[in-house]
Amino acid sequence: MQRPGRTRRVTLAAVLLGAAITAVLAQRGYHASAQQPAEPGPRGKAVYDSHCVECHGSTGKGDGPAALTLVPHPRDFTIGRYKIRTTETGSLPTDEDLIGSVKRGLPGSSMPGWEGLIPDADIVAVVQYIKSLSPRFAAEAPEPIGASQPVAATAESAARGAAVYAALQCAKCHGDDGRGAGAVATSFMDDWGAPMRAANLSEPWTFRGGPAAADIYMRFRAGISGTPMPSYKGSATDAQMWDLANYVASLRRKPVWEMSADELTTFYREQDAAAAANPVARGEYLVNVLACPVCHTPADEQRRSIPGMRLAGGLRMQLNPWGTWPTGNLTSDKETGLGNWTDDEIKRTITKGILKDGSRMLPFPMDWASFSTLSEADLNAIVAYLRTVPPIRNKVPPPTRAALPVHLWNKFRMLALGADVPSYFFSGNAGVTTGDQR
Amino acid sequence: MKTFLKWGGLTLFVLLVVGFGAFLYNIPPVLLIAPETFQANVAKAAPQVDHIADPATRALAARGRTLVMHIGCIGCHATNGDTGPDYSKYLAGGGIKIVSHAGQFVSRNLTPDAETGLARRTDDEVKRVLRSGVFPDGHMVPYTSMPWGSFSQLTEDDRHAIVVYLRNIPAVKHRIPDPVLEPATLPDGAVEGVFGLKDYGIN
Repeated sequence: MQRPGRTRRVTLAAVLLGAAITAVLAQRGYHASAQQPAEPGPRGKAVYDSHCVECHGSTGKGDGPAALTLVPHPRDFTIGRYKIRTTETGSLPTDEDLIGSVKRGLPGSSMPGWEGLIPDADIVAVVQYIKSLSPRFAAEAPEPIGASQPVAATAESAARGAAVYAALQCAKCHGDDGRGAGAVATSFMDDWGAPMRAANLSEPWTFRGGPAAADIYMRFRAGISGTPMPSYKGSATDAQMWDLANYVASLRRKPVWEMSADELTTFYREQDAAAAANPVARGEYLVNVLACPVCHTPADEQRRSIPGMRLAGGLRMQLNPWGTWPTGNLTSDKETGLGNWTDDEIKRTITKGILKDGSRMLPFPMDWASFSTLSEADLNAIVAYLRTVPPIRNKVPPPTRAALPVHLWNKFRMLALGADVPSYFFSGNAGVTTGDQR
Repeated sequence: MKTFLKWGGLTLFVLLVVGFGAFLYNIPPVLLIAPETFQANVAKAAPQVDHIADPATRALAARGRTLVMHIGCIGCHATNGDTGPDYSKYLAGGGIKIVSHAGQFVSRNLTPDAETGLARRTDDEVKRVLRSGVFPDGHMVPYTSMPWGSFSQLTEDDRHAIVVYLRNIPAVKHRIPDPVLEPATLPDGAVEGVFGLKDYGIN
């Protein structure tokens, strides 16, 4: 039995709360659509299975085939912990948060913006499906952060923000110039044990949550769950967080697509100087973008890299009609990896396809001819990085040539009969692991 | 005389068979050609950027050219002629066909041809493939067939330079078949099959 006055107050409070949420969402450009029913329909799973599995995995654990080649790693949906939210720290994201991330994508990661690629209704459906993968969404409700008064992006605000940057010790992770270099802490793991980098604050086009001051403010206010980036609620006032957001936005450098020829010359000279100053970092960049780990890491039957075996070799490649070439162990292990190879031997393999024992590799699939266009400095950087890859003892068997009659018969089919003789990549590790590295 | 003819003929026959076998064994002569020859062919294959009038575009394209050469896009996006890759059709694709659980993908034409190449795609669409492996119709190429997971680690600056270079190489008309998005049959344990000896383009 409630008194009428109390009912009115509850109703009024509900209306005001709804209005506040709508105002926040409208300010952020979201459709103020009603919360969708929590029941995932079959459409959501169908969309997920056709568009999300390659990275997030068939069970949503963030362990899809491509997962281990991506930095940051894809989200594990089964935990229900999300980085990009407009909700209190530790709280669940709203439907609009999730829909926004799917629509816009997460810049600086492999998550593309799906808006326009798949129908909006499919995006809504897949978000409901993703929510059903974690029990948290059934048990808890998101706690949206209320509207806040923006501080105009003036030089004074940015100057105050610089003081907040110092007071909150942002430089410890992001560096004095905000670019990450020179930071005290440079290697991070997220809560999922995956490597991550502190954001380079001068490159807002890589900000997952968006480049606008309002987006940046929200990251300070909400924190980035699962990473060392906390919520600053309590340690800074709302106005200070807006000043900081304006300061961070002011750190934006020009991207190359806005530079003049002279600026590009300077930019590339500085980039080359940075590479020369830190060859291991340059080598790591090259090893990753040249896709070395894709073949030099064994994979399971779903083509997922076997965890803990990065660059340990053992992916079996049957290169018909020639024979079987398992990929080499590129880790620094002395017995089974490159530990006992000289720099010149490693560089000769990369650029000429000649192995340590003098035998030759085919000109594919390892494209050593293309890698020979790398500068000497870049080759040295690759070697310097490979020397730092922790040893994994994985003894990869030597190449085996196909039996002569099989070889000749396949060549005959291929050359005289015009038959297609495909090569095959196999799952599993052709190498033998020993010791306790795994 | 008859014996001589018989033995001579037999010897000739054996020599022919052995010779044909040896010929087959060494054709294509990928392990007989010096590595330096492969290196030289690849080094001179990538079109230069000197013709670009705008100096900023030229600087970007030069950086992109270096990246495209280092990464070795040509390793898959070559066009096969009768005796191996035809480097005069740089990055016109069709040189490789990869089959897997995801379907059948032929390396695409990366030249700026209006009908069959990247002139049909916006910069963002090209960058999305390089970052996410997602095509404008929403389909995805496996990261093992086209290593977009690796290319996603390029900086946006470097990714942009690559796109600028691709916009400024000679256009080659070479139509590539659309992907077939149905699982392919593979031998036991195989996760991918790679065809690479013909032109898998259409025309």
